[in-house]
Amino acid sequence: MAQQMPKLVRIERRESDLHLTYEDEQELTVSYQDLRHACPCAHCSPLRNEDETSLKLRSQVESFKLHKPSINPVGHYALNFIWENGCSNGIFRFERIWDLANRRDPDHGKPYVHGAW
Amino acid sequence: MAESPITTHDPKNEEQGQGPVQPSPQQNKEMEKNFAQMKRKMSMEEIGLKIKHKIMVLSGKGGVGKSTVSTGLALSLAQLGHKVGILDIDITGPNVPKMMGLDGHKLHVEEGRIHPAKGHLGVKVISMAFLLDDPDTPVVWRGPIKLGAIQQFIGDVEWGNLDYLIIDFPPGTSDEPLTVSQSLPNIDGMVIVTTPQAVALLDSRKSITFAESLKVPVLGVVENMSGYTINGVTAANTSVEIAGPGGKTIKSTSDENGNFSVTLDIFKKGGGKSTAEDFGVPFLGALPFDPGFVRGGDDGVHKIVSDPEGASSIAFSEIVKAVLAQISDKPSSSLEII
Repeated sequence: MAQQMPKLVRIERRESDLHLTYEDEQELTVSYQDLRHACPCAHCSPLRNEDETSLKLRSQVESFKLHKPSINPVGHYALNFIWENGCSNGIFRFERIWDLANRRDPDHGKPYVHGAW
Repeated sequence: MAESPITTHDPKNEEQGQGPVQPSPQQNKEMEKNFAQMKRKMSMEEIGLKIKHKIMVLSGKGGVGKSTVSTGLALSLAQLGHKVGILDIDITGPNVPKMMGLDGHKLHVEEGRIHPAKGHLGVKVISMAFLLDDPDTPVVWRGPIKLGAIQQFIGDVEWGNLDYLIIDFPPGTSDEPLTVSQSLPNIDGMVIVTTPQAVALLDSRKSITFAESLKVPVLGVVENMSGYTINGVTAANTSVEIAGPGGKTIKSTSDENGNFSVTLDIFKKGGGKSTAEDFGVPFLGALPFDPGFVRGGDDGVHKIVSDPEGASSIAFSEIVKAVLAQISDKPSSSLEII
């Protein structure tokens, strides 16, 4: 059974990853490349549906020079990461960041479908 | 025509011994329009400073009670002592003035500034309805004209200092919320109104995604018309059975005084909460289906004003508390970002 997500209290932007500190004192990391590959926006999400396009997306984010993003809170439920290049449209819910930090598929195995639920 | 203080300089005229050339009426009109737009832009930036919190209220579908929720939020906030305004952006179906007891009101314009009307509990109101001579007159405007009207509503209105501005939109995800989110700085977020049934939820989910595309936070989902409660009297401590929607039998037991109540899920139940959970956005609360809102809306006296201690008013105040919990004066409250 997945652990219930504790509250994220601190994010440190390091050279190549985010260092996350949670309220229960857990410390986890998410690499910038994992973060960018998992962008939940409507442009990036469909690319992860197929292996071929997902690998291309991965190659693309790995080709970007590593740099620290700006981080904008979105309400009290998500963060938006602003990069110098590539896509900055994704709104990352804290649950998504938690999944990435725990090396879980943030899409939960579900393919992205535009506009239909 | 009065001489314009701005003249155009044509060297040829000087060579010929003539004075500066006055701008044509069309040039004058263009300059005035550009000046007005510049002033409006500056005014919109000022609004960001004078209005502490701006909340957009949307619904994917019409008829879910969005204007009732907008006015309810505004009145509940006013009851708490805040200075509140409502901007009724629904150009084609402006309902807010009627609900705020301002039917037939005409706007006061002074020195190019529009002064809002004052409704119940001192809430300031701006609505397209105030500009219509005949309430039966439809407003048939193409997009660019609507855009201009909305920008005027934002930039040319003398709101003064407000704690909260509630912005009521027409249903759907079209020009109006896009224009407002691009024109008005620092919007706190959107409240999405839905009813419990699947058809309304489908459209409200689009509104949530729409908010994300505009990078406007979703403050939460409100489920309106969530159950209709019947109160009755029978013999004391007696079982009662009511035939509910879909033929479902609903049971209740009367108390020692013979009073009983039964809630009928006319539009199903719980869809708003599950939608909020699916999208990971807050569920702000549920409002009961209350015919008093219908009467109040039609009579121009909102239920919150006529029955401030009633179940519906209490439900509204709980939703306001949930909204206020989402809005913080500190950026993202306790999260440290380094």
